[in-house]
Amino acid sequence: MKTIKLLFLSIFLISIVSCSNEDDNTVLLEVQTETVLNLHAPQIGGQGQPISGAFTKFSFETGTVTTSDTNWDIAFRGTTIIVNGGESLGTNDEPVRTGNAAAYIANGTMASVTEVDTDLLIADSTNGYAIPSGSGNGWYLYNPQLFLVTPIAGKILVFRTHDGRYAKVEILSYYQDAPENPNAMVDEGRYYTFNYVYQPNEDVTTF
Amino acid sequence: MSLNKNNLTLIFFIFFIGRSSAQESSGTPKDSLEVESLSEVLITGTRTLRQLSSLPLPAQIISKKQIQNINSVRLSNVLGEQTGLITVPDFGGGEGIQLQGLDSQYTLILIDGVPLIGRLAGTLDLNRITVGNIQQIEVVKGASSSLYGSEALGGVVNIITEIPKEGLDAEINYRQSSFNTSDLSTSLSHKKEQFSINGFLNRFSSDGYNLGNNPAINTVEPFENYTLNTKIGYELSEKTDAKISLRYFTQNQDFVASEALRGESDINEWNALLLFNHEFNSKWQSTFEFYTTRYKTNEFLDDDTGNRFSDNFFNQLMIRPEGRAIFKLNENNEFVGGIGLTHETLDRTNFSTTPLFNAPYIYAQWDAHLNDQLNVIVGARYDSHNEYESQLSPKAALRYEVNNKLAIKGSVGYGFKAPDFRQLYFDFNNTTVGYTVLGYNVVEEAIANLQNQGQIANILVPVSQFDSALKAESSVSFNLGFDYDISSSVKLNVNAFRNNINNLIDTQIIANKTNGQNVFSYFNISEVYTQGLEFNASWKPNNELSISGGYQLLYAKDKEAEAAFSNGEVFARQSPTSPAFQLSENDYFGLLNRSRHMANFKVFYNLPQWKLSTNLRVVYRSKFGLFDSNGNGYLDNFDSFVEGNAVVNLAVNKTLFDKYKLGIGADNLFNFTDAPNIPNVPGRIIYATLNFQL
Repeated sequence: MKTIKLLFLSIFLISIVSCSNEDDNTVLLEVQTETVLNLHAPQIGGQGQPISGAFTKFSFETGTVTTSDTNWDIAFRGTTIIVNGGESLGTNDEPVRTGNAAAYIANGTMASVTEVDTDLLIADSTNGYAIPSGSGNGWYLYNPQLFLVTPIAGKILVFRTHDGRYAKVEILSYYQDAPENPNAMVDEGRYYTFNYVYQPNEDVTTF
Repeated sequence: MSLNKNNLTLIFFIFFIGRSSAQESSGTPKDSLEVESLSEVLITGTRTLRQLSSLPLPAQIISKKQIQNINSVRLSNVLGEQTGLITVPDFGGGEGIQLQGLDSQYTLILIDGVPLIGRLAGTLDLNRITVGNIQQIEVVKGASSSLYGSEALGGVVNIITEIPKEGLDAEINYRQSSFNTSDLSTSLSHKKEQFSINGFLNRFSSDGYNLGNNPAINTVEPFENYTLNTKIGYELSEKTDAKISLRYFTQNQDFVASEALRGESDINEWNALLLFNHEFNSKWQSTFEFYTTRYKTNEFLDDDTGNRFSDNFFNQLMIRPEGRAIFKLNENNEFVGGIGLTHETLDRTNFSTTPLFNAPYIYAQWDAHLNDQLNVIVGARYDSHNEYESQLSPKAALRYEVNNKLAIKGSVGYGFKAPDFRQLYFDFNNTTVGYTVLGYNVVEEAIANLQNQGQIANILVPVSQFDSALKAESSVSFNLGFDYDISSSVKLNVNAFRNNINNLIDTQIIANKTNGQNVFSYFNISEVYTQGLEFNASWKPNNELSISGGYQLLYAKDKEAEAAFSNGEVFARQSPTSPAFQLSENDYFGLLNRSRHMANFKVFYNLPQWKLSTNLRVVYRSKFGLFDSNGNGYLDNFDSFVEGNAVVNLAVNKTLFDKYKLGIGADNLFNFTDAPNIPNVPGRIIYATLNFQL
């Protein structure tokens, strides 16, 4: 009798699990893979001078630059990238964080980083940004001989958006129109080109 | 030119004595047989005279005749044409030697068995050394610390200067070449009965050259240098003889940092060697040697208003007494033992102290012919030191003669390089950029000072890590090969090598400064290896023609980097803006500035009816990387490389009236240059030489 009961119970459980899977599949939104070209991230000052100027805000949901004070996920100014979560470092013109965004940097390729390790996510704080600034610390290397900013190969930026979704980003270029071999003397800098994958479904941590 | 007038007078005085006493003995026939036999034996491998062909170690002799045939005047040119050796420019401006894939700081350079000093940043500049008075150059590959101690990690280059022959001998050699470079060597030697003397004077000067775009700063600034060398020998009795050898080198060179900052750089170096040999009986022989050398540089820069901008000096002294004995038990067993002390001091700009090294040492070696076919050499040396761990360097080598055509030889040895003064005591603050470099031993004090001044933002490596002493860089080297005389005219020699290097010292960031720059210090970081195959073949169909070729295959890699690649932690992009991908183990190229393939091909041809000798030499190295261009921290197949290159050298010499020789030629005939990557190749050099030999 006991075994039969157990059998029934297992079948019942299996069916629930598989049902719920099917249910999810029908509602799940499609994962979005996009490329952003020439996101302009100007700044004032730098190289010893105080840095200021508005950050260029970006929303993964719309896939566009936004001026909204709340519906943004990440923002760019020069080589600095901030998230809409945590606290401001207190630099000039830094926007107020209103959301729950966070980030970390994974080693890998867009294809190999398939799951978010939520334990690693940190928000911006008064001590520093979630994406560390400075050459070799975060996403880029600066070559002082050529004055060139180059994205480090194998660095995937993993984000939680302001409203709890996830995205992964690979920055490809810091120069306008993403030239094959950028020249800091000729090519205009502070123009981001990046690939990203956005998981629009809440609480889904895979891409 | 700050040439010491007293020294000049002394040298000319010696010349004069040599000349006046020479007149009595002119006409004595020259012992040409002795010269011939000397060219086949070497002393570097075992510290006893050994036939090159029977030595169980990978070794090579470059004879005076070879040097004269290629009309070479500086050591760098001569060594750069040998298989497996390559001259590489150093950032200090010098040119060092890479041997079995090891950097120039790991090859010991000796003159007549005693070391040259003056490695400002590790490299000993080979352009400093004239070849005008060289009898032969001996190169022994593989770790040789069992006899020579520190620095003999990759190998040893021993420059044997000329030994006076019976009677009077005089030689003048002059070479004028492109870039207004001229080299004049005069030597005079005399030997009569117990007394021998020789004097040598060399002057070398050049206008330098400029490969860059800035006309104000040359790649090599104009310079002028002099080498004076004299040797006096006296046989006190049939069993005892004494020798004094003095060498003085002085150089003056323009020093230009920018259009506004100009100055001069001076080098003054002297070496003095006093030697007593005594033969007790047919079995016992002993040598006492007292060696002193000083290497001094001074350089300054003035700005355009005439104010002193910078002043740098370097003043190194080495004193080394050594006693050694050879005991010949019988025909087949020979023992060599030695005991000595190296005392070194260095006074240098940007040093926290004037450090002092005292390093007593003792060594012994047994050379045995166990039977007609088998020769075994076993030896060891113990180096004690007041600043770092003592070192025991054993070595074993054997040679087995399979038949009279084929011999197999192999050796295993330990080599080390003691941390140098710079790695221990440097206290340098770059005022224009703002970074700091600290020697290992000054970290604690210097960091505390910087902290008190509020210059330290955060410490990355705790100061307590510097409590234990910095370890010597060390290696275990293996060589295995064979000599095969295919016929009397065709010879082949193959050697496989592997060097496992531990505790390689490198710089690493230890703290961040508040100005955004970093503090660096020296650490035992890496484990690297170099391995490869060397191959030499020669064909001498007759007395007038000789064709030879050499090849070296080399893999030089960092073990940690290899692991990072195989763990899939390294990424690259096809172009700077394409998506990244993971690299595999096969994508790791290896250490910087190493070519996978190096080759040379030489043809020497004599036309006796015209008293003409000609030669053509081609030296090739395959592509190599100078820096990590794609920013992943490693040299991989997706980095940009310096293309492989071949340099062709041509020389023609004609003998006139027996005593004169006229030569013309071109080094780098096809005018190869690669300005940013290979600054030590100035382009085509056309030259003419005139040689007179009494």
